Formats: sequence, structure tokens, C-alpha cells
Amino acid sequence: MRQTIAIVLQYRVAIILALTLTVSGLIVPGYLSETTLSLGLDRAAAIGLIATGLTVLLIAGQIDLSGGAIFALAGIVSTILQPSLGILPAALVGVFVGGLCGAINGGLVVGLKVNSLVLTLATMLIFRAVAHWITNSQPVTGTDIMFSLTMAQIYLDIFSIRSALFIVCIILLHLWLTRTIAGRNVFAVGSNATAAEESGVAAGRVVFFGFIFAGSLAGVAGVLQSLVTNTGSPVFGSELTVAVIAAVVVGGTRLEGGRGSALGTLGGVLTMAALTMAMEFQSVPAYLQQVVSGLILILLVVLDRTVHTRGRAAGAIPLLVTQNPITTGGKP
Amino acid sequence: MIGKKSMIYVAATAAILASAGVAQAKTVCYVTAADSHAYATPANVALQERADELGIEILNLSQDFDVQKGTEQLNTCVARGVDGIILWPLDPQAYIPGLARAQQSNIPSILINSPMAEQANQFIKSFTGPDVYEEGEMAADALSTAMDGKGSVVIIAGQAGNGTTIGRVGGFVDRLKEVNSDIEVLDTVNADFDQQKALVVSRDLITRFGDKIMGVYANDDTMARGFIDAWKEANPSEPTPPIVGINGQKDAFESIRSGEMYATIVQSPVEDGKLAINTMAEILDGKEVDSRLPIPLTVVTMENVNSVEPAF
Repeated sequence: MRQTIAIVLQYRVAIILALTLTVSGLIVPGYLSETTLSLGLDRAAAIGLIATGLTVLLIAGQIDLSGGAIFALAGIVSTILQPSLGILPAALVGVFVGGLCGAINGGLVVGLKVNSLVLTLATMLIFRAVAHWITNSQPVTGTDIMFSLTMAQIYLDIFSIRSALFIVCIILLHLWLTRTIAGRNVFAVGSNATAAEESGVAAGRVVFFGFIFAGSLAGVAGVLQSLVTNTGSPVFGSELTVAVIAAVVVGGTRLEGGRGSALGTLGGVLTMAALTMAMEFQSVPAYLQQVVSGLILILLVVLDRTVHTRGRAAGAIPLLVTQNPITTGGKP
Repeated sequence: MIGKKSMIYVAATAAILASAGVAQAKTVCYVTAADSHAYATPANVALQERADELGIEILNLSQDFDVQKGTEQLNTCVARGVDGIILWPLDPQAYIPGLARAQQSNIPSILINSPMAEQANQFIKSFTGPDVYEEGEMAADALSTAMDGKGSVVIIAGQAGNGTTIGRVGGFVDRLKEVNSDIEVLDTVNADFDQQKALVVSRDLITRFGDKIMGVYANDDTMARGFIDAWKEANPSEPTPPIVGINGQKDAFESIRSGEMYATIVQSPVEDGKLAINTMAEILDGKEVDSRLPIPLTVVTMENVNSVEPAF
């Protein structure tokens, strides 16, 4: 019995996802179909790409709240530049802008030794404001709607371009995190930055590149969104940040750092998407949907605690607090 | 632990079950602008009630004014395999791929309330909703009558770039030109359909132009209210110049009765919602529908203010 519980807890994300699909399939007519899968994956892709980047940052003990704003900004830049550069070069510039925003986040967090929660809260406001400023608060329109229609196509009955990209990214990240030294260093930095530093890991650099990675992926997601909709809008992604954090945390990555997995994030993103779709299928009002999402989140966090309290005393102070220059008065 | 988990699952299941309906009826996906909004809510309610009468199941999805959410919800509609889609567009372009997907799956779509860009036309069967350009023209006629066809006016417009604003300002200005009116437009300022912003811009206008303001055209009634308040601050004893608003809200009716406003144009959200579902019902019955179906508009002045119902 003990063993069964242990296994259930270990694969809790997969089990919750399977349960979601089973229950929805039983209740919601026509839910389990290829179309639901392909369109569900497509809608999960935007959240998923940002979540992929955030997974690395959370493991490294940092957080990035500005993903939704970078998403909007990158999309706008890639749309505005379409007439002068052409669609694909403009898209690349959009992704570059995402990376640049990430570099700003990372540079400030590492350089000024400030809490990433506060810093990215500030840059979130700034990036969002810039998005409003350069568009005059109006949505901007791309040059070629036919290209958008191609981008939105579903190939092989399952994948759109962006959902395929999301799956590829998350698998590559999984391999990187589990099979390479650099990947394992991220965990080391997240669980104890000082110890990692002392054993020769450049913690600052890991964090800096983590932010660039997260920014770039938010940029990719934003550019793809703008390509698919032929629109860059300063209000795109305003609801994304919370959904992304929720998906990553549901996937078992901890806000305290040092623990998490890419495949968990995949499970988290798919669970949230499957739930949303099931509830939309039955036109459950939006506010009730959020109650259910919130309950799932609480459930998983509680489960997570029962799995891992053995490793650490209950109520131990998380790394975000102990390793944080603000709470420690500037001393490392 | 497992007990707790299944308990929450029961809650989730209950939420899904709570809304499960009969499967045989035709299902129409209604992607609305928002759940709670002065105009959208009565339109949603009217649409739902009419659908109940027609025996049509409504899959109600609210965008909460988030375009991105709306584009994703179109995916849900297609995946669900509904019989028709009614979309309240908040952007001229963003929904086009979603509408194209619906068309590929042979799901007919129509737009409610707001227009989209021309490129969307090939993917929709019809656009039902107010003709905002005509509203502008009607406002011009009403204000001309009030001012005997001469004098100078200010325009308090909605959001810059918004389709409704463009139509309502364009219709007004074009109409004045068309009839060679002697009415001069002193200035057009944007107040984003917001009463507070209208109050601020009106203060400026009154300071700048003073008595030269002989008439006011506001793109909606809330902004007309903003001008009235600014006027009362500046000239407590003087009566307001003739003011024409749009929408036909209750408090605009009060202002017309008290003489603070000259006219408003009733654009009923109830009619808006009903027309959309009626049109969809005809499409589902295999009938052809016009590609543009406007809702009725009524100019309300002191003369008929007691016989017309306010819009909301």
C-alpha cells in the first residue's frame, strides 16, 4: 500500500492528466477526438513555450513575471517590421527582442543582486508600457493574412507549427536538463547558489542565461501568436503570466528552486489545457473554470509537500528567501 | 490523500456536469465580448433567451475583452463540432484563421455587433449589428435640426482607431458635407467612451472655445454626460448647448427630459443579441441570409422620450 501511494505521488502529474482526460471523455460528448487533441495542443502552445523557459528559471531559483509582456512586445515588433523587412526577418527580430528583454532582466537581477520577483514585476510593467507606447495602444496588423492561414494549418491531423515547436522544445530541454553537466548545474544553482559557486559553477552566469532563454522563448511564443493572428496587440498575453506559472507548478517544478522537470511542465501545460477545453466544451462560466484550476493547483502543491517533506524539515525557509539579498540585508 | 484528491475531482466533475445539457439540439457557439458589461450583458441575455425559445443550445464563451482568449475559444468551438458560431470580434484581423478553420469544418460563422476587416468577409455568412456610420449620419441630422443648420460644434469621439469611433465620426462629418451644412466642426477629441476622460477634455474645450461651442456631438451617452458636468462647472447658470449622444442609456433619457441633452440614438443591445441568434437560426435552417443585417435605430428627443424604451 505504501509503495502504491509512493508511485501514485511520483507520477502525480501524469495521473492527474490521465484522470482529467478520462473524466472529461466520459462526461463531455465528443471530447476525445483528434480535433480536440490538435486544437488543444495548438492553444497550449503559447502557454507551453513560455512555460518551457520559465521551468529553467524556476529550477535555478528565480522567477520571471514579465513573460506575458515580452510575448506582446515581441509580437508587436515582428508585426510592425513586416512591411520593411519581410515576414521572416521581422519574426527573427521579434525573437531577438524577446532575448534582449530577457538579457535586461538577467543583467539587472545578477548585476544589481535584486530579487527577481520584484525586478521582473517592474520590467513587466515597463515592457507592457513600451508595447502600448509604440503602438499607440492600438492593435497593429500584419501584411499577409494568407501566411497566417498557413501558420494556423494543422499538419498530420495533430500538429500546428507552433504546437510541434513546443513539443520539440520541451523534449530538448528535458534532455539538456537531465543529460548534460550544464543542465545539472542549473539544479545546483537553484538548490544552493553559494554551494554551487564554491564548487566552481558560475551561478550568476547560469541565472543570466536562464533569463535570456526564458525571454527568447516568450519572444518565440509572441511572434508565433502574431503570425497566426496577423495582429500584434499591446494587450496580448496580459492574462498569460499566472496561467504559465500555474502550469509549471502543476508540473511539479518548485518555486523554491532546485527541483523540477521539463516533462512535468509538459504534463502541467497539457493538464491545464485539457481542463480548460473540457469546461469550455460545457460552457462552464470563466470564473468557475478558474476556481477549478485553483483547486487543482492547491491539490498538487499539497501532494508535492507530502512527497518531499522527508527530504527537508517542514516549514524550512525557501531559497528565494534565504538566498535573497533583500531579505538578508544585502549579504550573500 | 487519495480520498482528498477524488473529492476535488468530484468538484471538477460536478462543475462540468452542472452545465451538461441535451445533446440532440443544435448547438451554437457564442464567443461574446464579456460576461459583465453595460452593453454586452443585456445582449448576451437576450441572445440566450431567444435561443431557448428557438430550442438552440448555446455554448457561451466569454473573452473578457481578451482578443487572444477569443481566438483560442474559436478553437474550442471547432473542436466541439458545433453547428454554428456567433463571434463578437474585438479586433479586425486576429480571428480570421479561427474563422477559416471553422469554414473548413463546415461550421457557418456570423459576426455580432462589431465589424471585422474585409479579408474576413469570405469566412462569414453575415454581420449583424448596428450600422455605426448611419448612427453618425442620424446624429448629424439631429444636431442640424437643433441648431437650425448653422453654428459651430465640437465632437467628443471614442477610442482612436476603434471601428465604432471611425464610423460614428465619419458618418457625422460626411453627412454635414453632403448637405452643405453651415455647421463648422471646431475640434474632434478622443475620450475613449469614458465619462471621466470626457469630463477632462470637455473642460479644455470649454476653456478654449467658450461661447463658440453651439452644439456638441458625443460618440456615446457616457461622454455626453462628461460634457454636461464640465459645462455645469464652468457655467452654472447657463443652459447647455444642444448635445447629441448615442446608445440611448437611461440617464441620457433623463437628461433629455430635463433639457440638458437634445437627443440620443437608441441602439438596443436586446435587438443586437436577438438579431444575431435569429440570423443564425435561419442559416441552420438552410436559408440564405444577407451579408449585412443592421439593427433598428431610433432617434430620441424631447418629443418621443416618453414613448421609447431606453436601451439599457
